[in-house]
Amino acid sequence: MNISDYISIFAIVFVMFNGILGSVLVVIYGERKVLARLQQRIGPSRTGPWGILQTLADAVKLVLKEDIRPQNSDRIIFYLAPLIIFTPIFMLWVVLPFGSGLVLGDIDLGLFYVSALLGLSVVGMVAAGWSSNSKYAMLGSARSAAQLISYELPLILSILSVGLFAQLFTDNPFNLSSIVNAQAGLPFIFVMPLAFVLFLIGGLAETARIPFDIPHADEEIVGGAFVEYSGIRWGAFQLSEYTGLITMAFLASILFLGGWSGPFSDKFVWLQPFYISSKTAFIILLAFWIRAPLPRLRIDQLMAFAWKAIIPISFANFILVSLVVFIGDRISLPIFQIQLILGLLNLISMIALAYLLTSRRKRRLAVYRERWGEK
Amino acid sequence: MFTALFLFFLWRPISLGTTTGLFTALKHAFRRPVTLQYPTEQPVLAPRFMAHPVLTWDFEVDEPYCTGCLICMKICPTDVITVSMKDNEKFASEDSKRRKIVDDFKLDVADCIMCGLCVDYCNFDAIVMSDHFDASVDNRSNLVHDLQTLLDEGKGQQEKGRWSPPATKKSQRRSAAQAKVSKPSSSEEAKESTSEENEIETD
Amino acid sequence: METKATVIRDENSETAELRINMGPQHPATHGVFRMVLTLDGERVVTVEPHIGYLHRGSEKLTEGENFQQITTLFDRLDYISNFNNEWVYVRTVERAMEVEIPERAEFIRIILGELNRIASHFLFYGTYGLDIGAMNPVMIGFRERERIQALFEGVSGARMMHNYFRVGGVKEDLPDGFVPAINALLEHLKKGYEDAKNILTESEIFIERTAGIGALDAERTLDYGVTGPVLRAAGVDYDIRKADPYSMYSDLDFSVPLGSHGDCYDRYMVRMLEIEQSIKIIEQCIRRLPDGPIQGKVSRILRPPEGDFFVHGENPRGDLGVYLVSTGGTVRPYRLKIRGPSFSNLMALSSMMEGAYLADSTVILGSLDIVLGEVDR
Ligand code: SF4
Ligand code: SF4
Repeated sequence: MNISDYISIFAIVFVMFNGILGSVLVVIYGERKVLARLQQRIGPSRTGPWGILQTLADAVKLVLKEDIRPQNSDRIIFYLAPLIIFTPIFMLWVVLPFGSGLVLGDIDLGLFYVSALLGLSVVGMVAAGWSSNSKYAMLGSARSAAQLISYELPLILSILSVGLFAQLFTDNPFNLSSIVNAQAGLPFIFVMPLAFVLFLIGGLAETARIPFDIPHADEEIVGGAFVEYSGIRWGAFQLSEYTGLITMAFLASILFLGGWSGPFSDKFVWLQPFYISSKTAFIILLAFWIRAPLPRLRIDQLMAFAWKAIIPISFANFILVSLVVFIGDRISLPIFQIQLILGLLNLISMIALAYLLTSRRKRRLAVYRERWGEK
Repeated sequence: MFTALFLFFLWRPISLGTTTGLFTALKHAFRRPVTLQYPTEQPVLAPRFMAHPVLTWDFEVDEPYCTGCLICMKICPTDVITVSMKDNEKFASEDSKRRKIVDDFKLDVADCIMCGLCVDYCNFDAIVMSDHFDASVDNRSNLVHDLQTLLDEGKGQQEKGRWSPPATKKSQRRSAAQAKVSKPSSSEEAKESTSEENEIETD
Repeated sequence: METKATVIRDENSETAELRINMGPQHPATHGVFRMVLTLDGERVVTVEPHIGYLHRGSEKLTEGENFQQITTLFDRLDYISNFNNEWVYVRTVERAMEVEIPERAEFIRIILGELNRIASHFLFYGTYGLDIGAMNPVMIGFRERERIQALFEGVSGARMMHNYFRVGGVKEDLPDGFVPAINALLEHLKKGYEDAKNILTESEIFIERTAGIGALDAERTLDYGVTGPVLRAAGVDYDIRKADPYSMYSDLDFSVPLGSHGDCYDRYMVRMLEIEQSIKIIEQCIRRLPDGPIQGKVSRILRPPEGDFFVHGENPRGDLGVYLVSTGGTVRPYRLKIRGPSFSNLMALSSMMEGAYLADSTVILGSLDIVLGEVDR
């Protein structure tokens, strides 16, 4: 490698990094605005036109704030923890394609890379909570360790089922670009809606958003693992959180919504980043909407939900997909028929699950009906 | 087809409890925000709005209504009013009916709890609640309003139309409000109560 | 092969209980309240409540104030239900002085008191949603409360510290256009109530979080002297408006919602249904609102006779009692004891919280709906 290579790598990383930072600002602003509208408020409206500079002003404020380290905290780990959380999330963006060929490193085992890095953020959380010598932070980090590990499984299983299914189309099923290409005909959400829902639930839990925001739980443990951080270090946590949200939404749109493909996307290349970002934005909006009215689960209910409901379902889904793919491949069915069968099976199982869960939900609602219904 | 199937089979189980909440939230997004953008939009204050009290000005005689009778000073629960009275020069020249008039009047807005008792107990309609809710200053001592400030503020209120001199005396209005319920049977009782009205004990 | 369910616990490792200090600066303690929790993992083992951060000596202060001035102190006791506080106080003095109150004043008092109950319960709804993690309820709760307060401002001149009830009646008559305004307000409140119900009442997550949490049975509620919605959630039919009717309540038609399990969900539901009942009461009052004087015949200087008097009334939080000792002929009370519902309800806290999860601790505290201004006084 000569010097110009280094410079071009540096330039690309610089652009990527700042692009992500910028999009985080936009997402935070968007969250505040959307949440405000969902609550009949206006949201930020004073800094700049429509308040668009609000997050920037907040970021500047965070940078200028005093950097405080609690007494008796573990100095090195305390300072390292934000970086430990921050780095893997950003490293993910190396393999995420914005368009055909518009990707930094188009590695063949992209899916594995993604799932490996997704698991790393828990290290930073635990490090932050443990090192800050605060009981609230420790409780928060213990909670997030439990939660992130539990919800990693359904997330990764649904990612893998996508990889499995993509086998039918390409020799390179774990490469994200080929997964997108495989969805040129029919996005995977129509083939595997169950996996999509599992991915969304897992993604919400991984990014610790309501109703799964137990690691932060402002009303109980006041922010959780990073309660002792201030200034730009706290900002780094916030940044990695929102980057995580964007990443999850981006992954969902790559894996299930057909990535950059859309009408005329192969003719006009410049449409591709537009398609993928609007799909991402759609999923992010979904997360905002869910955040507005829903209460938070309790830690035991969350774990029960993970281990008793979500994980068995995702294993079943994984087995279902692999059976259909395997048998369909053996008897060499045309791909369209495999898609149809899998889609129908998925739909049937979703309906069955919905009714299964409904009975449970009804038991919950019975509390209301029995006690207060007739009166 | 998928959508139809989805709606048909999935809607019923989904449309319970939590989902109602989600759609209620979505409905709110299409309503007008209830926020009042405060400094640019000013709130519409009720006519009875109570900020700190101010003193009124008798334009007919060109002097304050306040006679310095100290009743407001005694009734104030937080003791923020300090009044002193003097002989009225205009009474000597028979321009005014007020024998005594206020000499100095200090009101510490910092400690005023805006309760309105002073207004309620003043017998001369000399003090009214203003609408100066944005009373912040950069120095606490500026919150002690003296006679001149209070009168100026009071004139402002009168010009705004928040207060105009009433036709009847306050004591008459008071007895009108309670007249019907249990009529004072003898004139002695009525006399007793009016003589009591003008003093507030502080023993 | 024999399988047996075992608790996996390493004999050599030690677990330690964790003492954490919740409050006085904590988002979910509803003011300045401090709990020292001993945790075993996520479970609460013991809880020590610490109160007194908002102590202003209200009871002592009353001994230095005239009877007319004490209303202002009662405004600041339970600063969410000011009208109800004032009402109990003026009723105490009225009982002592045997004042006759004109009917119009009584109806005005009922309307304002019940509106204040609605406002208080809406605030509870909002903060309770926030305690459980939902953001929308607090906006709905505040929106509706704000509308009520705008009406209060038109009547009394202040949003919270009204000082509007006087011994013998009320300060001024209702403003012009009050009846149309309150009719419009009630329409809004009904809609807001529907919104509120849609978001939490039937939400499974909400039910999951509150049903069965912090249950107090009827016997223990009585032992602790718990009153108000917390008592009625346990199924005890005790509402002072019915049990010891004051004002015009015996003429009005309303029911007292009762729970059966005494848990957080029942407390929530009791409060929500009380909003409905209060709206019903107000509608009746508006229909029957007579014309006439608003002030009974009282001398301007209040000198209750010698004796001691106790009056209580149904506040949004429970039974607010005022015990007045007067030496007779003086313009100040000799002693004025306040029995605050929040304080008594708070006493049951530790017995509800032990064994619950840490996350439940805020849910349980929120369900009591305490106001620290009244706890510490
Ligand atoms: S009570 Fe009225 S007249 Fe008397 S001092 Fe006060 S303001 Fe002046
Ligand atoms: S409004 Fe109340 S506190 Fe203020 S000066 Fe008048 S009596 Fe005193």
